[in-house]
Amino acid sequence: MRNILGANDEIAAQNRKIFSERGVIVMNLMGSPGSGKTTLLEKTLARLADKIKIAVIEGDLFTAKDAERIDKQGVEVIQINTAGGCHLDAPMIQKACASLNLSEIDLLIVENVGNLVCPAEFDIGENFKAVVLSITEGDDKPLKYPLIFKESEVVLLNKVDLLPFTNFDLQSAREDLTTLHPTIKIFETSCTKETGLDNWCAWLLKKVEAR
Amino acid sequence: MNFLEVIDLHEATLAENILEIAFETAEKNHAEKILAIGLTLGEMAGVEIEALNLSFDVLKKNTPADGAELKIKRVPIMATCNKCGKNFRLENYNFFCPECDGILILKSGRELLVEFVDCE
Repeated sequence: MRNILGANDEIAAQNRKIFSERGVIVMNLMGSPGSGKTTLLEKTLARLADKIKIAVIEGDLFTAKDAERIDKQGVEVIQINTAGGCHLDAPMIQKACASLNLSEIDLLIVENVGNLVCPAEFDIGENFKAVVLSITEGDDKPLKYPLIFKESEVVLLNKVDLLPFTNFDLQSAREDLTTLHPTIKIFETSCTKETGLDNWCAWLLKKVEAR
Repeated sequence: MNFLEVIDLHEATLAENILEIAFETAEKNHAEKILAIGLTLGEMAGVEIEALNLSFDVLKKNTPADGAELKIKRVPIMATCNKCGKNFRLENYNFFCPECDGILILKSGRELLVEFVDCE
């Protein structure tokens, strides 16, 4: 009997060991295309980059558009193009990390390819997974894509400023998330209105300081 | 929607890995042909069987697994309560214990395993 993802999981375990030895916390940031992952990342960097040393790995199908946005924040960023591949895997992260001085980094944020299915299945050696679910995607998503919400330690309900214009039921989304993952941490954020971001960043900072 | 448009590479990655394991097994056993590959897949593993079969059928062409088929066994989502210790088969992904105020811990349903490789 052999694990189909055994080869990936082995490299993920190696990554995890190196991250732990170098004292870096790694967050695997996931979510649909357009959910606001990169904007959230920009806002997070703006709040935390003067407090802790952060580096970013950007997963993208073909472009460097997101990496260019992060680069403008003055944060070290490495671009991985998956050339159509729908997720990042552990060997890609291992390769990307070879050009990072991990000992000098407190927090490594890996922005995965926009997708609610595949990234959840591939361990990259992260300490925890975070998923961004935007209001415009609909409140049915947690139960439609249970794995990613079960795997994630924290979910960001993003674009809450759009709640008045949609039929997204916040209460029902929170209930579904909690029944699926009773200990999941939920933040409500809006990157355009800058709400909920301080709470989110305080949580993230605590996570890094607790390492 | 055309089925080929919705297939994503994640099942193709799984199919590649499955073939890799099958080739290794065949080589170890000095076999030339792979006849069947038995898989155990949890109901909560993120895998579409149709997409997996399609990817497998494309990737197996002109390999020792050309005539092989996937024999798939699904594993239900089972969880144990962290308080009363009872086991439940999960419906609707509700991880709250139906009998007490405990939380259910996943015990099975995430499997992605190659169970056996039939070769000759």
